[in-house]
Amino acid sequence: MALIEARGLTKKFRQAVKEPGLVGSLKHFFTRQYRDKLAVDHIDLTVEAGESVAYLGPNGAGKSTTIKMLTGILVPTSGGLVVNGLVPHEKRQQNARNIGVVFGQRTQLWWDIPVIESFNLARDMYEIPVKRYKENLAQFTEILGLDEFMNLPAGKISLGQRMRADLCMALLHDPRTLYLDEPTIGLDIAVKDSIRRFVRSLVVERGTTVMLTTHDLGDIEDICKRIVIIDNGRIIHDGDLAKLKDTYARDRVIHFQLVRPPESIEPICAGLPACELTADGMRLSVRFDRFEFAAGEIAAAVMRHVEVEDFHIDEPEVEDLIRRVYLGQLSLESTDDSAAAAAPSPVEA
Amino acid sequence: MGRYRKYVSIARTSLEITFVYRAGFVLNMLGTIFYVVAMFYLWQTIFLGSSNALGGFTWPEMKAYLLVSFLLNSLMTWFAEWNMSMDIKEGRVATDLARPMDFQASRMATAFGPVPFEFFSALVVGAIVATVFGGIALPADPLHLVVFLFSAFLATLIKFGLVYCVSMTAFWTTGIDGIMVGRVAIQNIFSGALIPLVFFPDWLRAIAAVLPFQGMISTPALTYLGKMDGPTTALMICVQAVWAVGLILLGRLVWRGAVRAVTINGG
Repeated sequence: MALIEARGLTKKFRQAVKEPGLVGSLKHFFTRQYRDKLAVDHIDLTVEAGESVAYLGPNGAGKSTTIKMLTGILVPTSGGLVVNGLVPHEKRQQNARNIGVVFGQRTQLWWDIPVIESFNLARDMYEIPVKRYKENLAQFTEILGLDEFMNLPAGKISLGQRMRADLCMALLHDPRTLYLDEPTIGLDIAVKDSIRRFVRSLVVERGTTVMLTTHDLGDIEDICKRIVIIDNGRIIHDGDLAKLKDTYARDRVIHFQLVRPPESIEPICAGLPACELTADGMRLSVRFDRFEFAAGEIAAAVMRHVEVEDFHIDEPEVEDLIRRVYLGQLSLESTDDSAAAAAPSPVEA
Repeated sequence: MGRYRKYVSIARTSLEITFVYRAGFVLNMLGTIFYVVAMFYLWQTIFLGSSNALGGFTWPEMKAYLLVSFLLNSLMTWFAEWNMSMDIKEGRVATDLARPMDFQASRMATAFGPVPFEFFSALVVGAIVATVFGGIALPADPLHLVVFLFSAFLATLIKFGLVYCVSMTAFWTTGIDGIMVGRVAIQNIFSGALIPLVFFPDWLRAIAAVLPFQGMISTPALTYLGKMDGPTTALMICVQAVWAVGLILLGRLVWRGAVRAVTINGG
């Protein structure tokens, strides 16, 4: 049985609606009006033990709401959810023992007491055997470099230090599943790197299942194999990263640096049907479908007409791809669709 | 013990944090001292105007009543309520919920952690005030003192039960500050903190009798002074216990409703 099984998982919120201005406020004071919002709308999600899943979506898409249901913090409006054999909101405390949670936007550490004392509290809260606690603490302290601020209160350390301490705190009780909600938000590159490396090692060495929400695509490429994209409360893509690129990032762009401005790009265009050419002074860019043309063909076709000094190829950026998905320029309907696109679909009789 | 160790640790941490906010604690204490001294002078004037006991209180008894009231008010300061409601308002409860702990129990541990320290500090301050003013009535019977301590414990439980329920309203309203101020105002009147209930007109006393507040100041103060006979004392302590348990159970009910119906703020 899968570690996480969600079927038709739904969460509806009631939002108060208020007309603008004083009159609106007054009206709201006497007659409250509400509107239902479907934050998570019948999603199906299966995660196997040991998987590392990136859970993406624009702001307000329903990511955090899903995570909060998986962790038992929020009660679903409808649908079925079983995590590690438990219904999280019914067995919240038991479920909490199996999971580690890191919210990038808020800390789990006690603000006013030294970091080490927060860890000791975690030991008591999760009833971690002393020996195991010491081993884990020693290991995490070394990898994450916690020594220098172990005796400072969480309120006095930097954001990067706090995130590392938070990660340690979430992992001391050997959770099977780690939920990371925007773990690298606001961090510098070096800290981001060390955190990603650390999480990657958890997946590989400890077999921890990781579920990550982020807006930072570096997090995904370093940590996750699988990408689930949610928008307006619905899952619009579920599949692995490589396939996502193959299926939807078919376009490549070659940029040429020319020796002199071309007199006309018409003849080049004629030689490259279905490609998009843009010329700007000494620069010329060609966007092409990499399944239609090889990069070499494009280069050869261009060089027949103009003298080229230098050129480079843009790799498809996951970021760009996902931006297009968010903007609705790409519709990733479901995994069925992407499978159909990858394999030539049989002609219907 | 094993299962409860986590709550003991939470309580200890909460006490430790009280020491961090030393200035806040001292200022809060100063505020209550100022208040108790003002009450002393106010009542002194009232008692000087009459030669006899008022409402069955002699002046030394009244002084003892005011000090006991001060002591009980020092336990579990408004910080507990403020922190709890802010945690709800700003969505920090999400982290609490991701932990293998009973929410109410952990909040109770947090609220009770500083109580021994608050009790001790108030005792010291009370002793100083008592020395300065002199002539404070002591319990006539050591048994009164024992019963008083038990009653004071129940009073603190009632306070927690009430504070917890009030904090829960932060799930529904953003105007928690007003609700907290309202709670303190009503409590000060109906608990007997400002004026012993015996001075109330009958109809007001009848209202006070059916509310939980009298168990917070009046009942323990009267047990200290031995103002009630045996059966009445037993009855009043039972009433306290019922309110304590009732409010704590009500808090659990409200909590259950809150997490089901309401979103947790922040992302």
